[in-house]
Amino acid sequence: MFNWKSLLRPSSLLGAALVVAYFSMATPALAQQKKISFLTWNIADQEELFKEWIAEFKKIRPDVDVEWLDKKGPEFPTYYQTQVIAGTPPDIINTQGGLWLEYAAAGGMVDLTPFMARDADVRRRFNADYLANWTYDSKNYMLPFYISKSLLFYNKTMFKEAGLTAPPQTFDQMMDFAAKMSKGDKTGMLTLNFDWLYWPLFQMNGVDLLTPDLKKAAFNTPKAVQVLDALAKATANGGINKVSWTGRWVEPNGAFAAGNVGMLHAHSPAFFFIRGQAPWLNADTFGAAHVPGGWATPNSHGLGISKGSKHPEIAWEFLKMITSEKWTARFSERRKVLTGNIASDKTTLEKMRKDDPLAATVLQTQLEQTDKLTGNWRLANDSQVKAAFYPEIQNAVLGRKTAAEALKDAEVKVNRALAR
Amino acid sequence: MTSSFPRNTLTGAGSTVPVRRGAAGSKQRRELTLIWAFLLPSLLVFFLYRILPLAWNVILSFQQFSLFGESKWIGFVHYRDMLEDEVFWTSLWNTLIYIASAPIGILLALAISLMVNIEIRGRNLYRTIVFLSYPLMTVAVGIIWRWMYDEKVGLFNFILRYLGVIDKPLPFLQSFEWALPSILLANVWQILGFYMIILLAGLQAIPQNLYEAASIDGASPRQQFIRITLPLLRPSIFLAFVIGIMTSFTSFDLVYVMTQGGPSHSSELLVTYIYKAAFELSRIDYAAALTVVQFVLLVVLTWVGNRLSGGDAGARETG
Repeated sequence: MFNWKSLLRPSSLLGAALVVAYFSMATPALAQQKKISFLTWNIADQEELFKEWIAEFKKIRPDVDVEWLDKKGPEFPTYYQTQVIAGTPPDIINTQGGLWLEYAAAGGMVDLTPFMARDADVRRRFNADYLANWTYDSKNYMLPFYISKSLLFYNKTMFKEAGLTAPPQTFDQMMDFAAKMSKGDKTGMLTLNFDWLYWPLFQMNGVDLLTPDLKKAAFNTPKAVQVLDALAKATANGGINKVSWTGRWVEPNGAFAAGNVGMLHAHSPAFFFIRGQAPWLNADTFGAAHVPGGWATPNSHGLGISKGSKHPEIAWEFLKMITSEKWTARFSERRKVLTGNIASDKTTLEKMRKDDPLAATVLQTQLEQTDKLTGNWRLANDSQVKAAFYPEIQNAVLGRKTAAEALKDAEVKVNRALAR
Repeated sequence: MTSSFPRNTLTGAGSTVPVRRGAAGSKQRRELTLIWAFLLPSLLVFFLYRILPLAWNVILSFQQFSLFGESKWIGFVHYRDMLEDEVFWTSLWNTLIYIASAPIGILLALAISLMVNIEIRGRNLYRTIVFLSYPLMTVAVGIIWRWMYDEKVGLFNFILRYLGVIDKPLPFLQSFEWALPSILLANVWQILGFYMIILLAGLQAIPQNLYEAASIDGASPRQQFIRITLPLLRPSIFLAFVIGIMTSFTSFDLVYVMTQGGPSHSSELLVTYIYKAAFELSRIDYAAALTVVQFVLLVVLTWVGNRLSGGDAGARETG
């Protein structure tokens, strides 16, 4: 019988020799080839565009491989944090809202200010108000990827039925309109509530969340109590749909899309979601306006470089490329968003006014009154302040506490969070 | 040949196995080595994925952790913060309520098991129907029940209004009072089938001659249930109870999908709060401290459950 054991020693030696040979040949090649990765936030529908980015960058830097990753919003922080702890953070990350602040404040993001000082044309590309959204401690940590802020959508048919001719100009009018439109299964108003999107309802009444130095709560005022009380009463009597305070994206937008809600306070991406579900929506039945006072919470997406990136210079090169007019225009066209790149946004809007005037009306508001952005405080522990504040708002609007009690308790909790 | 009798821990406490010298002794040593060789990979995996993370978690709970920089030792600060943390107490209380709902599910499952244990036509079909909820993805269960509870278009409000029980729809998942009970109902519905299988297996393991003997002695069905069925079903009930406790501690997906712990933490469980603390509030160190508390609670409850069921996982006779 054949003795297989006799083959063991020579086979092992041959295997070892092959491995050594491979790595001897491969190591120089591996050492030359670099790799960067970029992580996007729930935008997997743009896979084709990202492949084009990667192909274009490959022509510029053939020595660099680029990997694209995408995670849904709720998964993003979990994924990113575990990658940071593992020592393998994606080189470039795209974040939504204020999440970048926590990372930047903790020293996890590369300060892009020196890069922009060196490449001055990059700074000039962007809308200054939106670019400033990503500054912390006088340093700029991100470039705009796509921009949005909150506005007021309204159902013209419901307005007409209630005898209303134009969107509200004050908070009191807003509550009054909401009450007039709520009958039976119909409600007057909805607001989104994540990432401080509801804050303009307070800001338009002159309520500040924090003191100017961001060290103490400043919202527990008689005016704030009045506003919160009005919101609570409107929620109790159906003027404001309860799902404003308990839903996140699908429920509130879906409710407006169903055609039973008079007004929706949301940011511009909501329009495209609603339009996909609302056969009733056209220029005669749908309107978009600024909220009273023109206040808006930005909910933009930025692109930044992780501190743990092994190739920050290459990452910067990639960022420069993808935020150029050519690529932002392409992105804008495909996803119907504005990118904060002045030139491509102008081109996008001009084209959209001919091809899709209703979308153009919505997106035009995103470039107006950008000096009245609120809900974007430079707080290192933004999420903790949010988590301390919002449940008390819920307690008040859903009738568990009075407005005064809720704001008093919120003040204690917010101050505790700020003191940490 | 002389023999010595050292304790052999592999054969159980208190027993001794003679370790023979010479050829027989070396054979035994080889066998022991082989046993350890087979066990070692699993033990290594267990150590790497269970013991080490647990130990690291405990250490983390005493530190101020920085994702991007150096961590520092701060002692019991997180545990002190917990005492003043309203959300922690709310989530702990909700978790205990969740645990307390396990006996309700077990009782229901026991009733169903007794029914499907009877020799009737179609009992396999009934067993399958009851069990069908268990293999469903919990996320899917959460979504379906969320829609059923919907204030405007939900099935429950439709039925209750149709029957005249209510005249205005109930905001089940937007209500402080109803949010948690609504989730509990969905949870009991899903796990009922699994409890039924455990209890059914226990019922079928009870020797029938015990019931025959009891009948001959004049015992009523109620007496047979109390004196025969329940005591012999104790290990199965204990198992179902432990699974119920574990489900309460790990029921993240159902809560997350249905209410995300809201409104205002009224349906928050410890497990969802731990997730939020770690990944939404970026307080990984505080989340570690919460996990330690959860672990201690789990151990205590399992011990209590074991004692209440007579010890030895319900297998020991009491009285």
